[in-house]
Amino acid sequence: MGQQPGPAPQTPAPSTAPQTSPPQPQAPAVTTPAPPVHVGPTIVIDPAHGGTDNGAQGTSGIVEKDMVLRFARQLRAEFERQGFRVVMTRNDDSNPSYEDRAATANAYRDAIFISLHVASTGKIGTAQTYSYEYPSATALATGSSTPRSLIPWEEAQRPYLETSHRFADLVQMQLGLRFSDSPSVSKPFAVRELRSVAAPAIAVELSSVAVPDANMLFSMGFPLMNALVRSVQLFRPAPAPPGNVPGAAATPAGAK
Amino acid sequence: MPRNLRITLAILAVAVLIGLISLRGLQKRIQRLAQTPTTEEQARRDLLKPPISTPTDVVAQIPIFWAAGPDRVAPTQVALPLSADPVKRARQVIDALILQTPSAEQRTLPADATLLAFYILPDGTAIADFSDTLSTGTPSGIMSEQLVVDSIRRTLEKNVSGLRRLKILIHGQEVDTLAGHVDLTGFFDLNSAAGPTVPSTPAQDLPPTSAR
Repeated sequence: MGQQPGPAPQTPAPSTAPQTSPPQPQAPAVTTPAPPVHVGPTIVIDPAHGGTDNGAQGTSGIVEKDMVLRFARQLRAEFERQGFRVVMTRNDDSNPSYEDRAATANAYRDAIFISLHVASTGKIGTAQTYSYEYPSATALATGSSTPRSLIPWEEAQRPYLETSHRFADLVQMQLGLRFSDSPSVSKPFAVRELRSVAAPAIAVELSSVAVPDANMLFSMGFPLMNALVRSVQLFRPAPAPPGNVPGAAATPAGAK
Repeated sequence: MPRNLRITLAILAVAVLIGLISLRGLQKRIQRLAQTPTTEEQARRDLLKPPISTPTDVVAQIPIFWAAGPDRVAPTQVALPLSADPVKRARQVIDALILQTPSAEQRTLPADATLLAFYILPDGTAIADFSDTLSTGTPSGIMSEQLVVDSIRRTLEKNVSGLRRLKILIHGQEVDTLAGHVDLTGFFDLNSAAGPTVPSTPAQDLPPTSAR
């Protein structure tokens, strides 16, 4: 992707006033900047934890909630630069509930939900991607005849399991290229944030807050950003045509 | 040498001698304390908790699943007296999982964690009720929490027959997550062929048929 549809060419209005003075160098037309045209899916970035919930804490003073917020802001800037609409589940030291985070994503028809985490454990400098998975044998009855609007809230991720898993594998492949020693495939696991998201949803966890120096974690931000942006581009290679912006009508109440 | 000086030196010598003797005693006491690293919670538990033994106990070699790296568990064979009663047997293996960890690196559940109660419902649903320490003592993170669930789940499914799924409670309550990440609102499948460690449907209010 990467290319943003350019603004419509500006055609100056024909002037009807008689020219009484010699022609002067034409000043550039003053126009209000065109609203940004978004392409592709809406990226919902979820910096985990926040508020009184610090998440993982390292002995060197690294706190997960602050680290993921920093990564999320970095990621938002890059996605926006690429022309994507970006929504964050939090942009300060607040702690929205799991349901609020899911609701933020569910307000868009074409969202991709990315939850960011930093682990307490694991090999330093590696990253692991997770998608949600329910065991089908004990699933609630959500047959094809069930109207989509009646899917139970806790089962919202079910229709997207395969898509989420495919996206998680794609992200893990990209992360593996940038963080050596990372696993080659994603893992399905019951990460709470993903359960009620009615969209492709993944969680990415970097290792770890146990680094002796915070700069080691900060340095993971740039490759993480590149891996995620590249994955979204590969996941949805065809940009939506201008004028057909997915989710344009939706405005989430909890979006920040 | 003046008499006063001799007396002072003698008093000082006696004081040094007493100090040396008491220092040795203190050293021994510190060593004793270092050899028994029991926390207050562990000491209380040892005092209050009756040993789980039944007339049907038979010593058997069983696999207990401890950590074999940051993100996976592996079985270690342990000789354990096990009851024929599945509820008691489950309590015995989970206690072993907590108390008989071979090394600190292999530990999955916090040392202070306690299994408060264990029930098996008629449909094969196991309900394991742990103390708060399971939640507060587990390092926050998807990977570390997954390790806890994996070790409990796999230890139970390999050693207690007839279990279909597992519900984990914390101090008698259903909680959203273990330590901020892993979803505990549903059930974890046991003895499934695919064996993914993910919960299924949310908890239903089902009465227990056997307890403790």
